Amino acid sequence: MAVVLVVDDEFGIAELIQAILEDEGHRVLTAIHGRAALARLSQDEPELILIDFMMPVMDGAALFRTIANDPKLKHIRLAMMSSLPRETVLKGLGDVPFLRKPFRYKDVLAVVEEALDGRK
Amino acid sequence: MALETVRSGIGGLDAILQGGFLNGGVYIVQGEPGAGKTILGNQLCYNHVAQTEGFALYVTLLAESHARMMAHIGAMSFFDPEAVPDRVYYVSAFRVLEEEGLKGLVTLLRREVQNRNVSLVVLDGLVAAEETAGTPREFKKFIHEVQTVAAVSASTMFLLTSASASNIPVAAEQTMVDGVIEMRLRLYGRRSEREIIVHKRRGGPFLEGRHSFLITGDGLCVFPRTEALLARPTPGDRAPAFRVMTGVAGLDDMLGGGLIGPSPMMVVGPPGIGKTTLGIHFLGGCSAKEPGLFFSFYETKDAISRQARQLGSPLAKWLETGVVDYVWQPTTDGLIDDVAARLLDIVRRKGIKRLFLDGVDGFVELAVEPERVKPLFTAITNELRALGVTVIYTHEDDVCVTGGVLPLTGTHLRGASGIAETIILMRYAELRSELHRFVSVLKARNSHIARTLRRFEMTDRGIVVEPDNAGAEGVLEALQSGFQPQRGD
Repeated sequence: MAVVLVVDDEFGIAELIQAILEDEGHRVLTAIHGRAALARLSQDEPELILIDFMMPVMDGAALFRTIANDPKLKHIRLAMMSSLPRETVLKGLGDVPFLRKPFRYKDVLAVVEEALDGRK
Repeated sequence: MALETVRSGIGGLDAILQGGFLNGGVYIVQGEPGAGKTILGNQLCYNHVAQTEGFALYVTLLAESHARMMAHIGAMSFFDPEAVPDRVYYVSAFRVLEEEGLKGLVTLLRREVQNRNVSLVVLDGLVAAEETAGTPREFKKFIHEVQTVAAVSASTMFLLTSASASNIPVAAEQTMVDGVIEMRLRLYGRRSEREIIVHKRRGGPFLEGRHSFLITGDGLCVFPRTEALLARPTPGDRAPAFRVMTGVAGLDDMLGGGLIGPSPMMVVGPPGIGKTTLGIHFLGGCSAKEPGLFFSFYETKDAISRQARQLGSPLAKWLETGVVDYVWQPTTDGLIDDVAARLLDIVRRKGIKRLFLDGVDGFVELAVEPERVKPLFTAITNELRALGVTVIYTHEDDVCVTGGVLPLTGTHLRGASGIAETIILMRYAELRSELHRFVSVLKARNSHIARTLRRFEMTDRGIVVEPDNAGAEGVLEALQSGFQPQRGD
């Protein structure tokens, strides 16, 4: 089981993903935008961060790049999620696990499994 | 200094607003759930980025999820997937509102507008902000701060709310903003009609009252109330009056040498008397330089083409070649303002000079408020006259057969003078087992008309009016005396 940080501005989405993953035994943290997520990382270190693409204050792409370029954080696994198409969201971010909204329960579990697959 | 305006890109709405919204203004859009606010909000965003170099931000509070919203609007023609996220951006601010209150929400709006150089904002779910405010004063303060952000950033803001419409337009926040728009669904018996009302628009005049709209695959289609939109007809050249032949020689003779154009004529008569046939004669006189339009609520183009061919009318050829356009509008469903707008659009686009509209009754059947038909028709008539169009309208009368009573008994034409400068009446006269047809000119402005009834027949070449009133005299005399005249007397 893992510690997962879910970053999403939309009311209900982060809470739903949290509930699904906690049922599977994961420990889940949430943040409402990129800047709040970075603040959270100073307290906790998740194994996986599931990041929404469009958010206020600091968007998903900016958060992704900040983590990926930070030597202290870049080992954390990242996955993106959005209602926009995969190719739009992952442009410039590389090939990372992607959750397309609206999603089904199994889609959430599948993307988390894919992102955590191969961890030490 | 005139304030810059931002067009909504929704033709009918911009017409109601007489130009659009004030740049940097704040507008409240109010309506119950299902009224179409979210579609309008999205349409404003996508139209804005399609028409300008601007950036649109859609902020939700307690609204449907962005994924579902995009799934719903994704099928609409204004939606441009390429515009998201570089020109249109969606964020949710509900959790910020929950955690940081109204102050946090204003801060979020300011930062997003500033950082993304936003020129249009939609805040969907204002009622959640209102509920968060501890007091009305606090909510007013929030609206004031939003206005300040809008003004400083020159970003036009639309606040969508499902709060009760009963307080329009007196609620404190509505007195502060630059405009208040209400959207609603009204029931008329079993039918319903969507309506949009601009209660307030600072900075200039607007078309007041209720206007209809539809939600279609193109988003909102707004139809300004025709009589309000055309309160002042389009300025025309005011060309001197000219004569237009109806195509029925005997009738043109009765009119003193044809119709005076551009002017409206109304033909009144019962079913089967020959009103539509008169239209075939009239539009048969069209040419490439004088294009026409056959607008029918009742008959299809094929039916009219067939009838025109049988009568040997040039209309059959004009319908094939496009000299005469044909519009068939069933009366089963539709908005009268939509129909009026389409009629005038084709007249303007094609430079129509002769219009046959069959008939006025179709508008009455479509109207959810029949009392609107007369002012609407007066407005259409004025506009068509300004556009130089000679019009023949038909109006169906009851089958009040003349038999022992005066020929005009039972005809209801009150109010017709407002929409017709010439009125032709077609009537049956029943003499024993035979139905005779009469035509008379009740009114023709500025013309020496025949003030007599004439008998006419429907032949294989169409309407043939007798050259004088002898035949009509004979029938009426026989009706009075009880004798049967010989045909042609």
